Amino acid sequence: MVEKLKPSRVVFNILNYSFMIVFAFLCIIPIWHVTMASLSNPRLLMSASGIIWKPLGEVTFDGYKLVLQTASVLKGYGNTIIYVVWNTVVGTLITVIAGYLVSRKSFKLKNPLMIFILFTMMFSGGLIPSYQVNRALGLINSRWALMIPGIINAFYITMMKSGFEQLPDSYEESAKLDGAGPMTIMFKILAPLVKANIAVIAMFTVVMHWNSWYPASIYLPAARDAWPLQLIMRELLIKNDTATVLIATGDASGVVNYTANLVKYCVVIVGTLPVLMAYPFAQKYFVTGVTLGGVKG
Amino acid sequence: MKNSKPKSNNGWKHDFAINKSLYLLTVPIVVYFIIFCYVPMFGVVMAFQDYKPARGILGSRFVGFKNFAAFFGGPNFFTLLRNTFVINALGLFVGFPLTIIFALLLNEIRLKWFKKSVQTISYMPYFVSMVVIAGLIIEFCSTNGVVTNLAVKLFGIQRENLLQNPKYFWTINLLSDIWQGLGYGSIFFISAITAVPTEQYEAAAIDGAGRWKRCLHVTLPGIMPAIVTMLILRCGTMMSVGGDKILLLYNSSIYETADVISTNVQRMGIENMQYGYATAVGLFNSVVGTTLLVISNTLSKKATDIGIV
Repeated sequence: MVEKLKPSRVVFNILNYSFMIVFAFLCIIPIWHVTMASLSNPRLLMSASGIIWKPLGEVTFDGYKLVLQTASVLKGYGNTIIYVVWNTVVGTLITVIAGYLVSRKSFKLKNPLMIFILFTMMFSGGLIPSYQVNRALGLINSRWALMIPGIINAFYITMMKSGFEQLPDSYEESAKLDGAGPMTIMFKILAPLVKANIAVIAMFTVVMHWNSWYPASIYLPAARDAWPLQLIMRELLIKNDTATVLIATGDASGVVNYTANLVKYCVVIVGTLPVLMAYPFAQKYFVTGVTLGGVKG
Repeated sequence: MKNSKPKSNNGWKHDFAINKSLYLLTVPIVVYFIIFCYVPMFGVVMAFQDYKPARGILGSRFVGFKNFAAFFGGPNFFTLLRNTFVINALGLFVGFPLTIIFALLLNEIRLKWFKKSVQTISYMPYFVSMVVIAGLIIEFCSTNGVVTNLAVKLFGIQRENLLQNPKYFWTINLLSDIWQGLGYGSIFFISAITAVPTEQYEAAAIDGAGRWKRCLHVTLPGIMPAIVTMLILRCGTMMSVGGDKILLLYNSSIYETADVISTNVQRMGIENMQYGYATAVGLFNSVVGTTLLVISNTLSKKATDIGIV
């Protein structure tokens, strides 16, 4: 439709575009600020205030070098990778299986199982009873506290279910005639056809576990060795406890204090960049995911 | 049901025989949900107990409604309730409409590449972890922080650490929520807008409706179901969201405005180990949450015929 622009329209367009530009800048500025700070001279950084638009002093990678020498950060990074990979691989696998089960028309348990699962979406015991269950299972301060509870998400099962249900029955029936068992039907024939749903679930799981800190703070209070990166970052950024985290750099505490601020920014970048780099490529999956379920958070 | 046999024990037996592996796969999933979802549901009896971990649920002493009485009669009850409602109401009445407006404004942008870039950039903050976001908020709101500088210049407030003054917490929390969630929250509405049939716009254009009128009389009614669905969902989760961010941001000097029910449960239950009391508070929280969900769902069904449950 080609229309002649009315003056009011022109004004609106100018305002609208300006607003979008300003908001986009607001979204980028904090991340830009951290990136530039992470490349700055630590002495100048100590006394800096306001947004850091460009690296202060000579560009330096000293902060990143220090991060690479900090055992707790490296360990946290490794732990995060373990939790992310495990929860994504195993969690998605179980979700696919569960979604398959509740979408089988010829399976008598289909509906009871679905109701059984949906019920947990509506009612939950809450934090303390869950904590007590994990405690009774001996999961407190154990890595498994982040690898078993929460591995299945009822909502994702409903997403898988609707994916499988959209496939015509003929696929399964012809495979059955060829003598394929349920496992073959599920993984070899049907799962590739619902790749998009699986990808969406896997993406959400990766980001959620990469950024997750709350369960770890509850269930791993004393197991520093098992902490994910986010908890290490919490010590640095929120509790401002740089001494404990950075002690492993081995230097005199004066040196640590001096560069601590710089290291903080570097850790943020190291911890955030993977998700931000991958995200533009994965964006379409997130958009699909939101549209599929109207999820928020 | 494809098999023609009558529903009887025999039917189950037959079903088991042909779907043996499906039954086998069901077992671990059922076990998981029983242990991590259903057992905790029964665990809410702790709310009526003087729960001692050593004695367990079966051995702990029942105290009736003592925990609830302690909560309702406690000095913090009103504060907690007020903070929970104010913080969530701000999100609902300010943050939520803004995501819709943002989606509508984006829809008015004709330059494809510009629109795409703004979308990509605006979704980004959502993928930054809450720990990092909270760290940035703490930095920017400190005595010499960027936000503090700006607020001193614009509003002439006294220079101080903004997160130490209870006056500012609601604003800081709301603005940072908007910053982080505006783009991401709009995705749902943007896709709803794309689903509005083009013929409707064309018809409206023929009738002489300008862009503004079309937005008001075509787009908005077209995405109403999406808006209502989101609204119901938000009402339902209203009591439970946002707690993790507040846990990272607050400190004892701003409990007065920042402490909400879910953060209180965490502090009382996990840190102070008052399990019975914290379970009671948590139970109260989820009962209120479920009630809100049911009420908003019923109201919306009456008013617009749209419901989710």
